[in-house]
This record gives sequence, structure tokens and C-alpha cells, in this order.
Amino acid sequence: MHVIMLFGVLLSSYLMVATKRISALIRTFRYQSLFLFMATFAVALKERQAELYAIAGLLLVIKVLAIPHFLYRIIKRIRPSEDLGLFINAQLSLACALSFTWLSWVFTSRLITPPGGTQGIMITVAFSVVLAGIFIMVSRMMALAQIIGLLVMENGLFLLASTVSGGMPFFVEIAIFFDVFVSVIIMGIFVYRINKLFTHIDVNKLSSLKG
Amino acid sequence: MQIFFILGIPLLLGIAAILVKKERAFGIINAIGHLAVLSLSVVLFKDLILSGRTYSYFGFIYLDALGAFFIFVISVVSFAAALYSIGYIRDEVGEALISEKKAGLYYALFNLFCFSMFFVPAVNNLGMLWVAIEMTTLISAFLVGFHNTKDSVEAAWKYIIICSVGIIFALLGTILFSYAFSLSSGGMKSLNWSDMAASASGMDKNIMKTAFIFILVGYGTKAGLAPMHTWLPDAHSQAVAPISALLSGVLLKTAIYAILRFGIIVIKGAGFQYFGNLMILLGLVSLIISSGFVLVQKDLKRLLAYSSIEHVGIIAIGFGLGTPLAFAGALLHIFNHAVTKSMMFFGGGQIVSAYKTHNMNDIRGVIKSMPFVGIMTLLGVFALTGLPPFSIFISEIMIIIAAFVKGSYLVAALLLLLLAVIFGAFIYHFGNMFFGKLPKDMTVRTERLSGKLAFLFLFFQICAVGLLLPFIKKDLLWITQRLFHI
Repeated sequence: MHVIMLFGVLLSSYLMVATKRISALIRTFRYQSLFLFMATFAVALKERQAELYAIAGLLLVIKVLAIPHFLYRIIKRIRPSEDLGLFINAQLSLACALSFTWLSWVFTSRLITPPGGTQGIMITVAFSVVLAGIFIMVSRMMALAQIIGLLVMENGLFLLASTVSGGMPFFVEIAIFFDVFVSVIIMGIFVYRINKLFTHIDVNKLSSLKG
Repeated sequence: MQIFFILGIPLLLGIAAILVKKERAFGIINAIGHLAVLSLSVVLFKDLILSGRTYSYFGFIYLDALGAFFIFVISVVSFAAALYSIGYIRDEVGEALISEKKAGLYYALFNLFCFSMFFVPAVNNLGMLWVAIEMTTLISAFLVGFHNTKDSVEAAWKYIIICSVGIIFALLGTILFSYAFSLSSGGMKSLNWSDMAASASGMDKNIMKTAFIFILVGYGTKAGLAPMHTWLPDAHSQAVAPISALLSGVLLKTAIYAILRFGIIVIKGAGFQYFGNLMILLGLVSLIISSGFVLVQKDLKRLLAYSSIEHVGIIAIGFGLGTPLAFAGALLHIFNHAVTKSMMFFGGGQIVSAYKTHNMNDIRGVIKSMPFVGIMTLLGVFALTGLPPFSIFISEIMIIIAAFVKGSYLVAALLLLLLAVIFGAFIYHFGNMFFGKLPKDMTVRTERLSGKLAFLFLFFQICAVGLLLPFIKKDLLWITQRLFHI
């Protein structure tokens, strides 16, 4: 069961890397968060810890419901073009994402655990999701894609934290959720401002400050 | 006990700023509040240094002499910035650049920013440390984009995105540290620095070393270490002048504090060599890159920003050398750079707002048009480039001597060479600005009293440290040993 969720998380990161449209990106991010929620919820059911239920609940409320809703609202308000503006085309992006997974596997098996085992797989998935997030950030021109890339990285870290150290202390986890939520809102505010001042949200064209 | 007031006062001021409508009155209240914070932090620092004790409250707040030192540095600069803000904001309101309501927002954000920075050295939990540093980014992004012009919003966007990505790496490193800790302690879950430092020698070396790379990339981005520095010149040059001073003077130092905290764990667990080499490498890269940009710079505030990268590089080299003298020099340099660079940003801010341009080629005859600011900034240039008898000279010479004594001749030689290059560039740029022919339409401007006080307060500390310190060097080494429990 757990492995299926994990596979879902990985697969959705591939889909995000390959997609060309902003609404599809947000939708897939929502699926990824949903898989993450289900994985956490499954662990919570097994271990019967109140804290885990709370974390799963927060995941559902913030990352599955609130943040995608907020991002959709931005799109509705400012109506950017659907195109994400790919520096690297979809096929090549997907190839990159696959190679990231391989790299994470090498990294994990060399360094972290004795190779193999469920933990090794989970860490590999976590690292490749983080790398996919970075990739989305640097190879897409639209400002909203950068926000989502950041969130994808954060998802990967959440997975990593829950695998390697059994999750962070409860109040730290809460603080990080709060922090992520606030940072998305603030970045959203800046996207509005950029749109108002520049009449586009193409970060590739934000290049007046140099040297 | 003082720490609760140090954290509480900015928070209360932040809330009060929204409620109090008169920006003029509030500016003065704000400065008085930060004076109180400053005196409390002096008391706290003295107490912890002399007694060598550590305070811990609820296992959440942990204070030792190192943390108290950083709190002291932050409070010095935040007081100076609060003092300077009174006149600066009044001018902006007077010229109708911002509304009275927006001035209230400025003071609220200013205090929240200070609060989040004070929180960084006080907190024990490394996860909360991460949250606090990310909070500083989020709050100050508004202060960078405060004027809502195209340039400032672009700078704020780059700032928030680059620092958030960087800091995610720091979180990754933190998670790996906690993994190494839980392996060594049989599955115990803790992110407390005091726990990790206590059992550092038992932690897995490989994981720790890898984790430290992530920490260095993550917090190094925030500290402005090259090559992760790209956000820094944009943000520092576009922010409101008092905020530039805070960003450059102390925000970078809070990230250095975070690196040091992890560094202490790595030094205890995996030996000094690894930590030292990485710090020296990043420090030299920062120096080389910044000296190049300083040479060809045209924008006044960007020049100062690149100089911050240079000084962060010097600090990193100081910590990387690792002898007690180098550590003392690096810590002292943190303080010296904080006060000197704040003064320079105040001066730079005044010049930019008087001449209405950032371009140094269009700024001429500053000494004639603004006598007080001009002379103070000129002295600041001498202090910043490391001329005696000012304080930066002392800390730089300590680091260079430490490098020679340790036998790192290459590091010492590069440091001297690059410092000479930067010195030349600064004298060239500022010489033209100060002594050139005054443009026709410029009138003589006088500085407000609050602004003068801010300049004099900082200048006093530059001189005091520069003149008195050579006589108490022995005590300084003793203090450093206290700070790092060596």
C-alpha cells in the first residue's frame, strides 16, 4: 500500500516536469500532495499517533486544498497565457527527471543506508522529487512555476524527513507548514505586483538589474 | 530573563506601529524601544561572557555567549537603523513618496524583521532556527519591494525566490543532521542544538559531512557567500536605506551564525580540517568575485552590496583558519562590518535621495552639497577599506596574521592582494563622488538631528573598537575561548 503511494508521488513529479500548461501543473501538484497525504495517513492509522493524524490533516488542508485553490485563484484573476514557457522541451525534461532519479539512487546507495531496502527506495524518491522541484524552478519562465517548484521541493523534503528521522518534532513540523503557507501567499502577492507593473509574469524578462 | 524582553519589545512595537497613527511620534518611540533592547542585550552579553553560563528556557530557548554576541550585534544595528529611520521616513512622507499609513506599515515590518532576527540566535531547535531565518526572508521581501517600482519588485522577487530555494537546501541538511543524530542515539528524535553538540563525536561522519555541504549551500545563500550571492546586490540596492543597513549589517550575520552552529557540530564530530577548507574556499571565491564587481561598478548602492560579499568572505576565511586569533578576528569583523557598513548605507541612502540617482558618474561634489553626511561617509570609506585607526583594520590584520602564523601563505597573500584591489577601487569611486564639481542645480542639504545621532553613534563604535582594542587583545582571545568552549 505504502509503495503505491510512493510511486504516485514519484509519478506525479514526472508528470509535472513534462507538462506544458500551468493549470495541469497545479492539478498534478495537488495529486502529489494527495498521495503524500494518503501515505502519511496510512502510517498514522498503523501507529495510532495523534500527532501523525494532525500532520496528515494539515497536509490535506494546506497542500491539497488551500494552496492549489489559491494558485487557481491567481490564474483566474490575472489570466496569464496557459503556456509555462519551457526552456527545455518536454521530452528532454522527462529524460532529465529520469536521470535525476538514477542519480538519487546512486547518491542514496553510496552514502546514506546500506543499499536496498524500503528505506533506500523512499530516500531515493524523496531526493528525486527535490531535484524535480529545482528543475521546474530553473527551466520554466513563468513566475507561478517557480512557486510550484518550491512547493515540490518542500514535498520531497517532507517525505525525506518522515523517512529518515521518523518526522521532525511536532511543533517544528507545524511551524514549517505555517511557513510554507505564508511564503506561498507572499509570493502570490508579488506575482500580482509583477503582473500589475510589468503586465506579464515572465520572470525571464525581469532582467533590468545587472552587474 | 532579558531575552524575553529583547524578543518582546520589537513584537510589541510592531503591533503598536499599526495602531499609532502619527508616524513622527512613533519613530521616536521606536528608537527608544530599540535603545532599551540594546541596553538589555549589553547586560545579557556581559552576564554570559563573564559567568560562562548558558541559559535554557523550556528546552526551546538556549542562550550561550555566542548567541548573546550575535544578539548584541543585531541590537546595535537595529537601534542605529531605528534612529536613522525617524528622519528618513519623515523626509519620504514630506516629499509625498509614501503616505502616512504606509509609514506605519514600514515601522510594523521593521519591527517584525528585527524580531525574527533576534529569534535566530536565541532558539535551540535547529528546525525552528530554519523557520526563523525563512521568516526574515519573507518579512524583508516586503521591505525590499517597499517602493513598488519595477526595479524594487524585481529585486524582491529574485530575493524571495533565490533565498527560499537556498534555504530549502539548509532544511535538507538539517534533516540529514537529525538523521545522523538519531542513528547515533538509538532512534531518539531531537533537533536541539545542545543535544546534537553533546553527542557529535558519535554521529556518522559521512552523513554529517554531506549534510554540512547542504547547510553551507543553504545558509551560504542567505549569508551572501559567492557563488550563491546573486540576489544580494539587487535586494540591498533596492531596499529602503535603513533596511539596506539591516540586511547588510546583520541579516547576513544571522545566516553566518547558523553556519557556525552546524560548524561546531561538524568540528566536534568530523575534525576541523573539513570545515576549515570549505569555509576558506567559499571565502576566497567570494572575495575574488566581489573584487571584480567592485572594480567595474557604476551603481553606488550595488557597490556597497558587493563590498558586503567581500566582508562576508573575509569572515568566512577567518572562521576557516580556525586558530583562536583567527576566530577572534572573524567575530570582531562581524561586529566591525555591521557598524561600518550600516553607516555607509545610511550615507549612501542620503546621497542617493539627494541626487536622485544611483549612478556614481552623476554624483559629484558630495562634500560641498552635504557637509556632514559627506565627511562621515568619507571616514566610513576609510574605515571600510581597512585603514587604521578604524576598527576593520584591527580585525583584518588579526585574520591576516593568523593566516601567516598558521602557514597558509597563499590565503594570506590572496587576501592582501584582493583587499588592495578593493581599496583602490573604493578610493577611486568615492574620490570622484566626493570631490568632483558640484552640479548646478544642487542645493546644500543639512542632516536631521536623528540622522546625525545615528551616524555619530556608529562612528563612535568604529573608533572605540579601533583605538581601544589593541590594548586588550589578551582579553579578546580569552573571550573567544569562552564563546566556542574550546
